[in-house]
Amino acid sequence: MTAFLDGLLGHLDTLLLVVFALSALTAATLMIFLRQPMRVAMALISTMVFLGGIYGLLGVHFIAAFQVLIYVGAVMVFMVYVIMLLEVREHGVARYSGLLLPGVAGFAMVLGAILISIWRALPAPNKATGGAAFGIGKFSVSFLNEYWLQFELTSVLLVAAVVAALAVIRVSRRTDRTRPHG
Amino acid sequence: MDRTQMLLAVAIGLFSLGLLGVIVRRNVLVMLMCMELMLNGVNLSLVTFAQQTATTAGAVLVFLTFVVATAEIALAIPIVLLLVRDKRTLDLDAYSDLKG
Amino acid sequence: MPGVLTAIVLLPLLGFLLNGVLATQLGGNVAGKRFVTAVGCGLPLLAFALAIKSVLDLQAGGYVPLVETAYRWALIGRSSFDVAFYFDRLTAIMVLVVTGVGSVIHIYSVGYMAHDKSFGRFFAYLNLFLFFMLLLVLGRSLLVLFVGWEGVGLASYLLIGFWFDDLANARAGKKAFITNRVGDAGFLLGMFVLYQAFGTLDMDRINAAFGVGAAAVVPATLVGVLLFIGATGKSAQIPLHVWLPDAMAGPTPVSALIHAATMVTAGVYLVARMSGVYLQAPEASMLIAVIGVATAFFAATIAITQTDIKKVLAYSTISQLGFMFLALGVGAYGVAIFHLVTHAFFKACLFLGAGSVIHALSGEQDMRKMGGLARKIPVTFVTFAVATAAIAGIPPLAGFFSKDEILWYAFASTQGGSPLLWLVAAATALMTAFYMFRLLWLTFLGNSRVDPEVEHHVHESPLSMTGVLVLLAVLSAVGGFIAVPHFLAPQLPLPAVHEELEHFETPLLVLSVVLALVGLAAAAFVFGGPPARAEGLRRRFAGLHRLLTGKYFIDELYERLIGEPLVWVSDRVFLRLGDRRILDGTLDGMAALGRRGGALLGRVQTGSLHLYAWFVALGIVGALLWSWHHV
Repeated sequence: MTAFLDGLLGHLDTLLLVVFALSALTAATLMIFLRQPMRVAMALISTMVFLGGIYGLLGVHFIAAFQVLIYVGAVMVFMVYVIMLLEVREHGVARYSGLLLPGVAGFAMVLGAILISIWRALPAPNKATGGAAFGIGKFSVSFLNEYWLQFELTSVLLVAAVVAALAVIRVSRRTDRTRPHG
Repeated sequence: MDRTQMLLAVAIGLFSLGLLGVIVRRNVLVMLMCMELMLNGVNLSLVTFAQQTATTAGAVLVFLTFVVATAEIALAIPIVLLLVRDKRTLDLDAYSDLKG
Repeated sequence: MPGVLTAIVLLPLLGFLLNGVLATQLGGNVAGKRFVTAVGCGLPLLAFALAIKSVLDLQAGGYVPLVETAYRWALIGRSSFDVAFYFDRLTAIMVLVVTGVGSVIHIYSVGYMAHDKSFGRFFAYLNLFLFFMLLLVLGRSLLVLFVGWEGVGLASYLLIGFWFDDLANARAGKKAFITNRVGDAGFLLGMFVLYQAFGTLDMDRINAAFGVGAAAVVPATLVGVLLFIGATGKSAQIPLHVWLPDAMAGPTPVSALIHAATMVTAGVYLVARMSGVYLQAPEASMLIAVIGVATAFFAATIAITQTDIKKVLAYSTISQLGFMFLALGVGAYGVAIFHLVTHAFFKACLFLGAGSVIHALSGEQDMRKMGGLARKIPVTFVTFAVATAAIAGIPPLAGFFSKDEILWYAFASTQGGSPLLWLVAAATALMTAFYMFRLLWLTFLGNSRVDPEVEHHVHESPLSMTGVLVLLAVLSAVGGFIAVPHFLAPQLPLPAVHEELEHFETPLLVLSVVLALVGLAAAAFVFGGPPARAEGLRRRFAGLHRLLTGKYFIDELYERLIGEPLVWVSDRVFLRLGDRRILDGTLDGMAALGRRGGALLGRVQTGSLHLYAWFVALGIVGALLWSWHHV
């Protein structure tokens, strides 16, 4: 028993990695099958959290933190709000489109093609996974030193997004005024 | 199979599942969420490969992906809101005005 | 002296350029007309003077031909094509006739076209014609001759359709040009055969080659027939004679110069010039003689019934050309040229006289509305009568000498003469006298059938016209004494005569005179008496009369045989099938294909985003598959 537990603890990180990976896949698969959008959102959130876990196990903790903070905390929360907003008015939509079978076939082909491509062309890694871990300090320094241009461009992108969002609000307010409430 | 291969397989699986969801699901919001899933899969593969180098380039790229995804969602949702308000349904098949 | 021959050719060209460019600018005022007249008449007269000079030079040099190379046209491989001029006895006669008669007709035109709005253009075209005609007769090689040949055809077309506002005139010009082109096809083939065999187109060299037995290399008959086909078109022999009567649509000086004196004789000149070939080609010569006499007879029969004064003269020209070809066909080349010269004199006089009549009657050309003009326009009458007597063959006028020589050689020549040819030719001579005196009687004598309105304005023509008429009448009278055949004999020997027939010469001579007088008497009897006599004759031979008035319906036959099928092919095959269905159909079809293809491909845009996403998936798979093989 101890040997088993020792063995288990020795490879704990690998075990956890496998568990997280499988869980993420399961949650993703669930997204296809669940009928109600809110449940689909929950499945997505769990996928993202598991991915965050994987990132943490790989050693890039700050990316894990970003994953949960940005994706789950901002994007998915926004999504949940919208679902709640729109679902109050809607009474469910049919689950599948007309392209179910072709879609599945396409999915199989894509999966197969990419897997085969990767397996054929995988280069030897220079370090084992998880070998080169670094912390947020190193990351920030290099981000602002070497990649300052990308940093600035990113902020421009965010400003553009804000302006666009404002424009959308104005358009929606105008159509509100011209349209009779119904 | 080593860890890299497994992680890549997971990433590919997430990506394909996301693509399947876009093709197969009819609800607009569910489609959006599947697109997020695709992005996640790509992120995972980015991180996996970034781990293999000692530079921070991969991590920076991942961070930028986050930012772009956020900006995209920030705008996609209002567009969907306006569409829904106009068509009064979340069914994607109703949005076929660009036919022909 | 070098340059004289070139100058003779270029002077009329200069006239064409000056008048053509400046005439409209100067306008129709008096000064402008004086300039046009000075240039238009002066330069041909100058050319005539130079021609006389050249004849004197030729005589001084012992009749060795003068050769002048103007410039090298082309050098293809080792063969060079030069523009060269050649002046020997035959050329001398032709150049004198062309420049001499041409100049006087120019002077006549000053009076005739005085009120025409395109006075300058007329003289420009006339000078252009002279240029090409001189190129034709002075050219050393067949190529230069052919350029002149085509050029006179062009000038003829321009002048026939001179008053092109009337569509019928334009159509007549077109008909002349196209009929000529049919003949030119044969001419070109003949030239090709000659060039292929001898490597040169110089006519003197070709004649010499045939003289020493080149008939083994290339069949002379073939060349002879091909060249004769060209001559048929230009000189209006059967079957390409149909354009000449229609060509009367042009102004009368044009009819006189081009369609009587010079251009239509180009075919006769060609055969005479290439006599070296025809002496070796008895079959071709026989063909020429037969067609010549047949045309002469055929045209004379039609001339008897024509009512338009110019048409009678046109058919008369065709008939006289037939006589010339008859002479050529029996080997009497010099005699044919003799007849060419005398014919130029009296036919030009007749045409210009007709022009004077038309001028006097303010445009009337129908003989049924003429008569009794002798006292009103006496000068025209006298000159016309002299020329009529000349063409009928009454001694001692010019036509008697030349026509009698032709009849004699047609009978007795060892190179193809036969009594049958003589018989048909003699019958034609009889008819010639008959219809020409008919013309004279109906126009000038008897009671006046002139429209009273027109009769008030009948007046004699101005001096520029009557002076020329008098000159030509004098030449018609004494021209027979110019011994042209003997002048040409060193170059174009007269054919030998069957010895046993020699004693027929004087009787046949007397017979010719008798025939002429019989024709005169018959015409006087039928048309000089009361009109009922002519009417009765017409009614008795009504069917024949209708056939002759309809010109044997040859034009209608050509229209049915050639014209209509061609139009059918053009319409059905080329227009409807070729142009509309095939060409337009192909283009429209391609456009329709593009449109339908686009519509078909547009069906991909169903508006369904699911479908688009599925295509993305397919694209990814495809790109990956491609990368397996190529990366």
